[in-house]
Amino acid sequence: MKIFVDQVKCQNHGLCAISSPDHFELDADGELRYQESFDEENIDEIEDAIDSCPLQAIALNRDSA
Amino acid sequence: MDSEDVRKARATHWYARTDWGIAVLSYEDSSFLLKNPRLTQGSAKWPSQHGVFDGHFDRWWQKTLLVLEGDEHNRIRRLVNPAFSPRRIEPLHPRFQALAESLVDEWIDDGRTDFAGRFAAPYATRILCVILGIDERDWKKIHELASTIGLGLGITIQENIAQIDDAIVELTQYAESLVLSRRKSPQDDILSTLVETRDADAGKLSDQELINLIILLIFAGIDTTRNQLALAVEAFSKQPDQWEKLAADPERYAAKAAEEALRINPIGRWISREAAETFQHKERTIEQGTTLHLFTMTSATDPAAFDDPDRIDLDAERAPHFAFGGGVHHCLGHFVARADIGVALTTLATRMTDLRLGEGAEWLPDSGNTGANKLPITFTPRS
Ligand code: SF4
Repeated sequence: MKIFVDQVKCQNHGLCAISSPDHFELDADGELRYQESFDEENIDEIEDAIDSCPLQAIALNRDSA
Repeated sequence: MDSEDVRKARATHWYARTDWGIAVLSYEDSSFLLKNPRLTQGSAKWPSQHGVFDGHFDRWWQKTLLVLEGDEHNRIRRLVNPAFSPRRIEPLHPRFQALAESLVDEWIDDGRTDFAGRFAAPYATRILCVILGIDERDWKKIHELASTIGLGLGITIQENIAQIDDAIVELTQYAESLVLSRRKSPQDDILSTLVETRDADAGKLSDQELINLIILLIFAGIDTTRNQLALAVEAFSKQPDQWEKLAADPERYAAKAAEEALRINPIGRWISREAAETFQHKERTIEQGTTLHLFTMTSATDPAAFDDPDRIDLDAERAPHFAFGGGVHHCLGHFVARADIGVALTTLATRMTDLRLGEGAEWLPDSGNTGANKLPITFTPRS
């Protein structure tokens, strides 16, 4: 499973980075940077990030390894 | 806010100087500055700026999510965000819908009503009761307490502070009893979720944090929705074609209707920020401590970002507006608000046509929170 953020939807609010700072962060220009892969044990905080995004721009792509 | 002067200013430059700081007018700059980490909320000083120090209101205010910054803010926000996610809100739609229908039933045959008093206020308050799991029969009392605390955001705060402090005390006791009852017997409501929220590093939300949050939800959740509904109805009353479009296909247009109403007629006419450090934006140096007002309605009707910007267009693809603020202070309850406004508007549109504003509306001034205390409407019931 991989994290996928719809860059068209994303407005760089940064709430995902509060929920899951290891996987999401805003860079110096305020743009979102994120890691696609993650350990299964971190799934809770990733789901919290998904829930928290005001634009609902984050998804888990279950097909990709 | 909607004046020719503001429009002209927006067409010439991205900001205007005002007596209270810089007013940011354009969409592009609002979007950038709203999320800029060099700007903080800066609202912590609000009571002291108006001569109010260290009372019940002030002590609560200093600890609300609205004014907290940094790690303390982020920790609480991280814990409470998931409770307000679409996953938690969607199952509540049928209850929102049933409530809206039952309120409309009370006056639909009259062809007229006071929309603010007979729909917006009970609807907004009772939805909050549903969300928190408060007995809906208590709604009038809750509504009164929320309005009184709302006076704390008015520039007359000092005159009203005794009353506001009393309301905080009363609501604190109420919130304590709610927390206690949910600790004993959890229910299927957001309050129970919050009580059980756990944080691997720092344990649960403390009782004090929970109580502060409940007061914030009651205070911020009621007045905003109540007023936004009145503003939405005002906006749609000017565009019967779009009202009919909504009525003809409510499923399809519910979310868009709420979005467009929020965009062209938001309750919060501006969002305030304060520069935490000196920085350069475009040609202007913004000194540390400068107050910026990001004009939400003005940016969301900026012709540079929107076609035919002052019209509701349910079929248009629009850029996001900032009626819910932005950055890490983005409104916590926006999914609830979007859902309940969407449900209310579709229910109203499917039951009334020829919607018009009547005589004698009482509007609040343009401010951080505008709206109507009284909004007579006339209409023809749909058969
Ligand atoms: S919370 Fe959503 S909108 Fe904000 S930065 Fe993360 S993905 Fe983008």
